[in-house]
Amino acid sequence: MIVASLSLLVWTSPSNILNTMVGAASDAFALSLELCAVYAVWLGILEIVEVSGLSDKLAKLLKPVIKKLFKIDDVETEKFIALNMSANILGLGNAATPMGINAMKRLDDGSGEATPAIIMLIVLNATSLQLLPTTVIGLRAAAGSQSPADIILPTLLATICTCSLGIILVKFCQRWFKRRGK
Amino acid sequence: MSAYILPLLFIGLFCYAKIKKVGCYDSFVKGAKKSIPLVVDIFPYIASIMIAVALLRASGITALLADSFSPIFLALGIPSELIELVLLRPFTGSGSFALLNDIYLQYGADSYISRCASVILGCSETIFYVTTVYISQTKVKKLLYAVPVALICSLIGAIIACLLCRII
Repeated sequence: MIVASLSLLVWTSPSNILNTMVGAASDAFALSLELCAVYAVWLGILEIVEVSGLSDKLAKLLKPVIKKLFKIDDVETEKFIALNMSANILGLGNAATPMGINAMKRLDDGSGEATPAIIMLIVLNATSLQLLPTTVIGLRAAAGSQSPADIILPTLLATICTCSLGIILVKFCQRWFKRRGK
Repeated sequence: MSAYILPLLFIGLFCYAKIKKVGCYDSFVKGAKKSIPLVVDIFPYIASIMIAVALLRASGITALLADSFSPIFLALGIPSELIELVLLRPFTGSGSFALLNDIYLQYGADSYISRCASVILGCSETIFYVTTVYISQTKVKKLLYAVPVALICSLIGAIIACLLCRII
């Protein structure tokens, strides 16, 4: 894909290639700076959640769900996944990321291939189960909508559909891959 | 309403920490310190994926794809005005929010198109970005079926979104 777009650009506007790349890199840098600030707040909060023992309680609460979905038996990992899921549900995608990365590190078995649990976590995050699409509502209000929040119900229904579909598909693929492996 | 949820959660957390006799300040500082190494670790991955996406868009390949896919999307019930949004969404968060804003301005925030666009954005994620960042700190190289499954889900999410907006 990259080679194709590069060759197409050489054909159409060769002088723009470097500009585009550097521009994107500086966007990435600006985003990283912003993320650094966001993560500082959330990792700080997370530390309090963890030290106060609240994360253990949350993990215990979500344990049946996590066990069913991920088939793991490790308290630390369960804790990170529980926090990642709760942050997602609250619509805090950026707060979910550092916890997701921590969970990923613990799920990694070093084989270079994604384990079923890793795939499940990626798909769950990629289908974004969330209760309040805050950014979208804010944008709609800014654009002069009469009732900016009336998309909550359809969004909720749609996100529940995609999330459950994701879970079902991952489970299905797992089985299929296992059978093919044998 | 939603503006109060987070502050209330924070107050609750700080009170809980006080009861448990946890040093809020020390813990917060300790956690916040981890943010810089984390961002330094994931920056190269963010930069690479964003450069790749910028090149794809600048070359016009995404526009070409949008054109060639449009009959399929129309058959699935996704209006042609939203095809670019659906295609762009897995790649870029800021880009798709900018596009959403354009749609609001062009069609009015309360139109059917705008409502569909809102729901599509609300029930999907920047799949490639999320995947890149999440596996950046692991040794995983082969993702097997993770990305296809996520893409299928988000396409079906878009179809459901357009259906729901017609009813609700």
